Amino acid sequence: MTIAFADGIIRLEGPCRVEEAETLTLLLQSNGEAAVDVSACNQMHSAVVQVLLAFQPDVIGTPADAFMRDHLLPALADRRRREQAGALGRRAYGMEE
Amino acid sequence: MAQFLTEAGEQIVVAERSLAVLARKGDDESAFDACFRAFHTLKGSTGLFDLVPMERVLHAAEDLLGGGRRAGTTGLANVGALLETIDLVAGWLDALRQTGRLPDDADRVGAVESRRLKTLAGNSDDGGPGGATLDDTLRIAPEFDGRGGVSIRYVPAPDSYFMGDDPVALMASLPGLQALKVAVREPFGPLEDYDPYACNLVLDALSSAGRAEVEAALRLTADQVEIREIARVAAPERTEGDATARRTLRVDAERVDRLADLADELVIVKNTMAELAGLVEDLPGGQTPGQTLRARQAELERLVNDLHAAVGKVRLLPLGGVFARFPRLVREIARSLGKTVTLEIEGGDIEVDKTIVDGIFEPLLHLLRNAVDHGVESPARRRQAGKPEIAVLRLTASIAGDQVVITVEDDGAGIDPARIRELAVARGLTTREAAEAMDDQAAIAMIFIPGFSSADGVSAVSGRGVGMDVVQDSARQLGGKVSVTSRKGHGSSMRMMLPVTRILTQVMSVICGGERFGLALDNVVETVRIRPDQIIPVRSGKAFRLRDQVIPVVELAGLLGAADTTAAAGVIVIAWVQTELVGFSVDRIADRMTAAVRPMNGLLAGAPGVLGTCLSSDGSVLMVLDLPELVL
Repeated sequence: MTIAFADGIIRLEGPCRVEEAETLTLLLQSNGEAAVDVSACNQMHSAVVQVLLAFQPDVIGTPADAFMRDHLLPALADRRRREQAGALGRRAYGMEE
Repeated sequence: MAQFLTEAGEQIVVAERSLAVLARKGDDESAFDACFRAFHTLKGSTGLFDLVPMERVLHAAEDLLGGGRRAGTTGLANVGALLETIDLVAGWLDALRQTGRLPDDADRVGAVESRRLKTLAGNSDDGGPGGATLDDTLRIAPEFDGRGGVSIRYVPAPDSYFMGDDPVALMASLPGLQALKVAVREPFGPLEDYDPYACNLVLDALSSAGRAEVEAALRLTADQVEIREIARVAAPERTEGDATARRTLRVDAERVDRLADLADELVIVKNTMAELAGLVEDLPGGQTPGQTLRARQAELERLVNDLHAAVGKVRLLPLGGVFARFPRLVREIARSLGKTVTLEIEGGDIEVDKTIVDGIFEPLLHLLRNAVDHGVESPARRRQAGKPEIAVLRLTASIAGDQVVITVEDDGAGIDPARIRELAVARGLTTREAAEAMDDQAAIAMIFIPGFSSADGVSAVSGRGVGMDVVQDSARQLGGKVSVTSRKGHGSSMRMMLPVTRILTQVMSVICGGERFGLALDNVVETVRIRPDQIIPVRSGKAFRLRDQVIPVVELAGLLGAADTTAAAGVIVIAWVQTELVGFSVDRIADRMTAAVRPMNGLLAGAPGVLGTCLSSDGSVLMVLDLPELVL
């Protein structure tokens, strides 16, 4: 079992394979506020990455895997940051209240 | 949003200006850099908002420019295409300004535009399969700007997961991976229907390994990958720009106006100090304090004048901002008339008062529109006349003393004085004899008379009835004047002379019909005191002899509808009314002062014969009269 859900946190462990994408999707669909802890995850299939992109949960924890830590998660965070900046910008410029 | 629009407008200006330079000199590096930066900044700021079509178009434009950088020159065709892009984006910005969003067709128009730009950039040919998908997405992730290496764009097929591919893992195994960007190919639909097995990713990566190595690593998915080598683009020189950016301050124009008003009022108060010093000196034993007061007053005067000048400088803005709006408008006007016109602009760096900058757009647009519509001939006629088909319009500004001279010149057909005479007579604006007696320049100047419109037909562009008199009115409201010179067959030149700063006007205040009025001293030639018997009745009017000249006299009180009490009084103010001297009889002259004349606004804005108001030294409001307008 590489996906566990407890206390509002979805914990990914070990390598997350393509079929895990479905489990993660179902969990996020029914627990919109859940955060995803990736600290124990050492590999993530593209399909799982895509779920994170689609649902935009809070991603917490720092994985040990260098690629995930240095490239993949920053790329995801970067997107989130850009979107947040976009929302901030829209607010700052009065496009949203 | 407002700030974004302002800043985007500025970038548009920069881009247009630098493109104009590139059109002439394709390898001008500084223009190129400025242009590239403008597009880049524009693109960057669109990212703050949800302006995807705009971002996409700008990105394609940036790519096209980038191609030019590698080639060392930006081709003329590309400059033209980029100008059209700028027009499109400027149009979108207008829409944003008015409606808060992009036009409904922006998506489609934007896609067409970016495809066009990409075709020009030659991108569509460099082996990107899956063209349709790649075409609509960005080429290089903006995050990689300024970095060198091999850029990889990997758009895995939607069924990749079924095929057993793991695109992210493939990227992880890429040799020399420097940076990674993970994005979605198309927006996710409702999340309840999310399909975890449909691949919807776009991966961008940057590798420091060689191209061959990267290609080898990706050989199995070569059909979904696009590899480009990108040269390290020097990051825009930040330091200098940032330093100046921090030293400039955006201030609400209203606050500056308020400051200017206060400085104006301070000048008035200062004026009363001199009077006060005089009063004190006249008191018994007031000599010493009076003189001290006068010395202080002189100091105050110097400081207030400096303050006034300094505030005036704050209000100075370069004309470039206004000028930059014209190339696009002129192109549009010319296009709608089937003419080709290039607009050359000079002197955009000249700084003038904000009121001038604000007020000059309309009259200039009018002049340019007239020049394109009536001045420039049709291409066929230009060919016949042996002129190049592309007409040249020149918009130039220069400084002459404390005035700025703004000229709109065209190389069109020019104005035919004979026709003007004819039309003026036909429209009852003058008599045939008078028209025949005029020299050509004076005849041409009749286009400024209200009611004159030299176009025979009504054209959609210039319309009718809004003639050159409107331009003259606007210029006069700004404290300036317009003149025209023209050579038949060689083109016309319209000159606007305007004050550079909000000037303090010398105002003479007169009493007339029991009321005080101000007269702008620059119209006034002299004042004379005459005896009532020196006034000679001439038909229904009156005149008097001044030295060798007979000067018509009008009673100012009569003109203003006040009781006519001036019959016995004998002060005549002689002023220029166009080319004639006219005497205005008044009760007496009260005083002279320096004041800032403010144009009338609100309900009184259209009041004829009134130049504006100013504060007199006792703090009361004085109406300043426009003598020529009163008589004409």
